[in-house]
Amino acid sequence: MHSSDLTFKKVKIPLLSDSVSAGFPSPADDYTEENIDLNEHLISNPFSTFFLRVKGDSMINSGIKDKDLIIVDKSLTAKPGNIIIAMIDGEFTIKRLSIRNNELYLKAENHNYPDFSFRNHVDIQIWGVVIYSIHSYL
Amino acid sequence: MKSKSSITEAIALIDANNFYASCEQSINPHLRNKPVVILSNNDGCIIARSPEARALRIKMGIPYFKVKKKLNSLGVAVLSSNYSLYGDMSKRLMNLLKDYSEEIEIYSIDEAFVSILRPKDKNLNPWARKVRCLIYQNLGITLTIGIAENKVRAKIANKLAKNIDSSAGIFDLVRIHDETNYLRKISVGKVWGVGKQTSNWLQSKGIKNVNELRDMDENEIIKKLGIIGKRLQLELRGEKCLPIETSKKPKKEIQVSRSFGKPITKLEDLTQALAIYAIKASEKMRNQNLKSSTITIFTRTSHYSNHAYQKSAYKKLINATDNTSTILKIVVELSKEIYTPGYKLSKAGVLMQDLTNCKYLQKSIINNEFQEDSKKTIRLMKTIDSLNKRYNNEVITWAIAKKQQVWAMNRNSLSSGSTTDIKKIPNIIK
Repeated sequence: MHSSDLTFKKVKIPLLSDSVSAGFPSPADDYTEENIDLNEHLISNPFSTFFLRVKGDSMINSGIKDKDLIIVDKSLTAKPGNIIIAMIDGEFTIKRLSIRNNELYLKAENHNYPDFSFRNHVDIQIWGVVIYSIHSYL
Repeated sequence: MKSKSSITEAIALIDANNFYASCEQSINPHLRNKPVVILSNNDGCIIARSPEARALRIKMGIPYFKVKKKLNSLGVAVLSSNYSLYGDMSKRLMNLLKDYSEEIEIYSIDEAFVSILRPKDKNLNPWARKVRCLIYQNLGITLTIGIAENKVRAKIANKLAKNIDSSAGIFDLVRIHDETNYLRKISVGKVWGVGKQTSNWLQSKGIKNVNELRDMDENEIIKKLGIIGKRLQLELRGEKCLPIETSKKPKKEIQVSRSFGKPITKLEDLTQALAIYAIKASEKMRNQNLKSSTITIFTRTSHYSNHAYQKSAYKKLINATDNTSTILKIVVELSKEIYTPGYKLSKAGVLMQDLTNCKYLQKSIINNEFQEDSKKTIRLMKTIDSLNKRYNNEVITWAIAKKQQVWAMNRNSLSSGSTTDIKKIPNIIK
């Protein structure tokens, strides 16, 4: 394996401690402090973190949209309120883990999509906890 | 002086079950609980099976073309090997294991020896259960864990963990009251380090199982197998002879070889294939700070061919090198030597031998052939390597590699799932 490995690739973005002026050598150059490595800030358990791509709009009301990039940490234990990835009948699905009448169920955040109760589905398994979603505005 | 310590060191052999198939099933929910087989490079043979495929009595090592129809009718998912996925999952596995052991020796892509401290007679099953749960939760991969006093016995414990249904994937050989019954169940050929010849010799002496091998006359075993045999027997008896090797051993040789998607009959194609393998091999050497002074190439026809042929050729160099250009010149020259018209060649490879670490490289006094790599070429190679690393795959390579490859590998059923390529990450539907 070499550094093409996405999860651990360092993406360095210089962090400036002052604004940059154009046209002449920037006085801010001397104040370049460090690089921001998004992996370092977004991922605390690199060996159990995976990326997935969202297809569909079942979570639209939570702010997660079609084509968003999802960062999932499988080492975390899912708690009610977390947005999670579950496997239902051989498919990945993204839902919010919720409690109703003392029972766990998976809640879609879009009225057009059904919820899933653990009681009614035999083949349902929590795969990981969503820690970030990344949306492109382009 | 400390009195006899109440803490002993235990060795666990941890291996991932059906590793390649598990990796695919882990990131692709469609494959869960389904029969899955993975094919070798070039979609040649079956090299891994999920337990469900095993239950259908699909055998390992069988050429794909022979069972294609059967697999189809049984509804088995067939996948080309996806080594970037397996490599990434292996790296994750080994790094997670590090947190749960004192020391770790990565033994293969899916196997590791780890050492753990055992306070006197303490049951290590809770530890092993925790490791299994953790790895299953984090990676979706199931482990088998064999625990013993040393590496040879840990391997045996691992076999027992696999074979005994009630063990739930964990077997601690130290805490068994009477191990004789268990050791009797394992044949000598299954012992780590016992090859086919040794196994045949032992069988001829009437030594059939591990129990008999452990109690065999040590003089006889030393006479036949020397120090290796002695060590093996001592380990079987519970002494520790083989240390955990945490650092990677330096490589003895680097090989890049592949089967062709279609057989090659032209010299031009053979040369191109060898050139591409040489470029890869040179890059691998530079990655590990190694230089080679013996370059060997080989080619052969298929094992199933009636018109069989194989040939190799090599060149020794005065100055060891890792320079792709130099190596390419040699390989292109040598390829003429191993080519004979009229054969359908199915495989070829490049071997870099006599590897030396760049740090300890001796300079030769007489230098009549290839000049030592100049600073300029070293810099050029470095630049090419770093560009290729950064932009993921050969953005810069030699012209010969970029011509159309009529013989390229078949990977017809590569899984779309990936953990290393953002364009191929799995989709979550709805």
